[in-house]
Amino acid sequence: MSFEKFKDRNVGEDGYYMVDIEDYPETGWGKFKQVASRSLKGELFVGLWVVLREMFKFDIHTVQYPKEKLPIGPRYRAVHKMLRLFESGTERCIGCGLCEKICISDCIRMDTKYDENSRKEVTEYSINLGRCIFCGYCAEVCPELAIVHGGRYENASEQRAHFVEFEDMLTPIDALKAGQQEEFPGFGAIIPGSDKSVKKTPLAY
Amino acid sequence: MFEAIAFYLFAILTISMFSIAVLTSQALYALTSLAAGMIFISAFFFILGADFLGAVQIIVYTGAVLALYAFGMMFFDTTRDVVEKRTSPMLVFGMSGMAALLIVLIFAAPIVSDNIAALYPVQEGVGNAQAVGMVLFTKYLVPFEVAAVMLLVAMIGGIILAGKKMDTSLTLLDEDKSPLSVETNEKAAS
Amino acid sequence: MDTAYLIETVIKIVILLLVFSALAGFGTYFERKVLAFMQRRLGPMHVGPYSLLQIAADGVKLFTKEDIVPQNVVGPIFKIAPVITAATAFMAAAAIPFMPSFTIFGYEVHPIISDINVGILYILGVMAIGLYGPLLGGMASANKWSLISAARAASVFISYEVVSGLSLLAPIMMVGSLSLIDFNNYQAAGVGSWMIWSQPVAFVLFVIAAFAETGRTPFHLIANDHEIIDGFGTEYSGMRWGLFFIGEYANMFFISFVIALIFLGGFGDGSVGGALALLGKVSFIFFFFLWTRAAWPDVRPDQLMWLCWKVLMPIAVVNIVITGIVMMF
Repeated sequence: MSFEKFKDRNVGEDGYYMVDIEDYPETGWGKFKQVASRSLKGELFVGLWVVLREMFKFDIHTVQYPKEKLPIGPRYRAVHKMLRLFESGTERCIGCGLCEKICISDCIRMDTKYDENSRKEVTEYSINLGRCIFCGYCAEVCPELAIVHGGRYENASEQRAHFVEFEDMLTPIDALKAGQQEEFPGFGAIIPGSDKSVKKTPLAY
Repeated sequence: MFEAIAFYLFAILTISMFSIAVLTSQALYALTSLAAGMIFISAFFFILGADFLGAVQIIVYTGAVLALYAFGMMFFDTTRDVVEKRTSPMLVFGMSGMAALLIVLIFAAPIVSDNIAALYPVQEGVGNAQAVGMVLFTKYLVPFEVAAVMLLVAMIGGIILAGKKMDTSLTLLDEDKSPLSVETNEKAAS
Repeated sequence: MDTAYLIETVIKIVILLLVFSALAGFGTYFERKVLAFMQRRLGPMHVGPYSLLQIAADGVKLFTKEDIVPQNVVGPIFKIAPVITAATAFMAAAAIPFMPSFTIFGYEVHPIISDINVGILYILGVMAIGLYGPLLGGMASANKWSLISAARAASVFISYEVVSGLSLLAPIMMVGSLSLIDFNNYQAAGVGSWMIWSQPVAFVLFVIAAFAETGRTPFHLIANDHEIIDGFGTEYSGMRWGLFFIGEYANMFFISFVIALIFLGGFGDGSVGGALALLGKVSFIFFFFLWTRAAWPDVRPDQLMWLCWKVLMPIAVVNIVITGIVMMF
């Protein structure tokens, strides 16, 4: 494969053609001829045949949403999750407060205290999902990869301000033991299998 | 007995509908009650066994004539009451009532002395439409054709009166030539 | 006028009303499903298995919805307009023979409410009065969309009445009667004697006029959702709107019966097979109404008028003249 083909930006010349649109008829006789040709050429029946064919093929594309859901990409930024350490099972959050600081819509509130081991412990942690714009800065800034975005996008509520608490976001301990917690590959990670759907750059040849 | 009940029922309904049409000042009430009255009149034809004329009454008066009235009513706001200019309502009422009574008397007078007998009684085995056709195309052929020619003349006259500027399309006309913009220009100038 | 006749007629009227009101509901379900399948969708799926109970859900919704009569409307006319649509649709059914006559418990039943000898004329006339539903509803609504819709309803109905009447004139000349039962008996000899073979032009014209008078898709201008909201139905809610709906669908069913009886042989010789064939034909015509809705685009109002007065009406007149000449010699 030659390199020139990729430098040619004029990709579509050969495959394109002008759609043949007739001029709008001016005279009554012209209009009549148009109607006659349109109704006698069988275009109407082509339309009927196409929809009937689709009906018998029964190739249905409906996703019955509440019962079945489409998979979403790993880079999707939905309601946050709090991860645990894989080895010990303790929560990763060290209460540094960076996420609270960087949050541009000011929706994260946290409260910490020193526990008996002089380690910081999170006592209160809540995100106001009514304010959150799901920008992903909190996940980006987190030094411990503790707060990440999950895949739960259904957050309709009766009030504008509705909150998600630390305990709700935290991976349940039995889910962790069952190996259901997945490591966050990092902010801006490549979608798995995306290599196949992307054309390679010329350098690859 | 059913005939009598039906006759009185439809007589009352017809008269009340037409009274509403005359007495109301709300155009939509008048239109609706006039249409309803026309349908109720067709009931008399059905009672008399003249099915064909009954159906024709419905189609012609209710389906066509009054629908054209309604078409005319699109040009003004039918949801408002019409304010009538009455200078002397008693005089108008008295005169029109007298005139109507007089006309009824003039036309009824010869019938009262005669014993009413149908000129073309319903024949057994001959359908309604056939009977009407027979009479229409034998005895009344000339009035029928004259009426047809008269309607044709009226139709052509209507087309000529209404269709003077039908060849020019307002949308295709240049902006400064269209009658709408001429009006606004005049307003701006004055 | 004996009592048995009276009771029989009342029973027939009640059955007709119940069956076709329910069929109107079922027709919507059928329409939604057919359109969905033709557009690669599933359609309603959640109320009962394959949403078969959708009629019940729609009924509950329509009956319990608040009945709103807006300000500035002409109250009585606004309220009576939906009734006119539904009533005229069912009145037209009085002269339609829905099935061949059959004997039950030794009593012969004619499944036609009144076999008047001007059946077709009566049906055309009463369907023409159906115009007053959209017309009065639109004019009383104090709403511009409704008014446009009322104007369109008046023009479409008046114009296409002409086409439907003229196109039926040629078959009427051949049969020599206005009764639908006579029409059926004329074609009882079998498929070869169907009116569609001797009057194909009249058949096409009448089907086109039927689409216009029921306001179905190629001519769906009276309540064209994408330009005039719901037309005359814009201000209506609850069961009043539901009556418009029932009227529209009942009209579709009745005109399907009329087409099947006049052009497609009706119930043939009156056997059980003939009755089933009639139901099959009616179902196919109803399906055709839905089919075109999925396949064809709408025409503009001026194109509709142009089509009626400059194309269909002359063709209908020529058809009558040719039929007359052929019958004379």
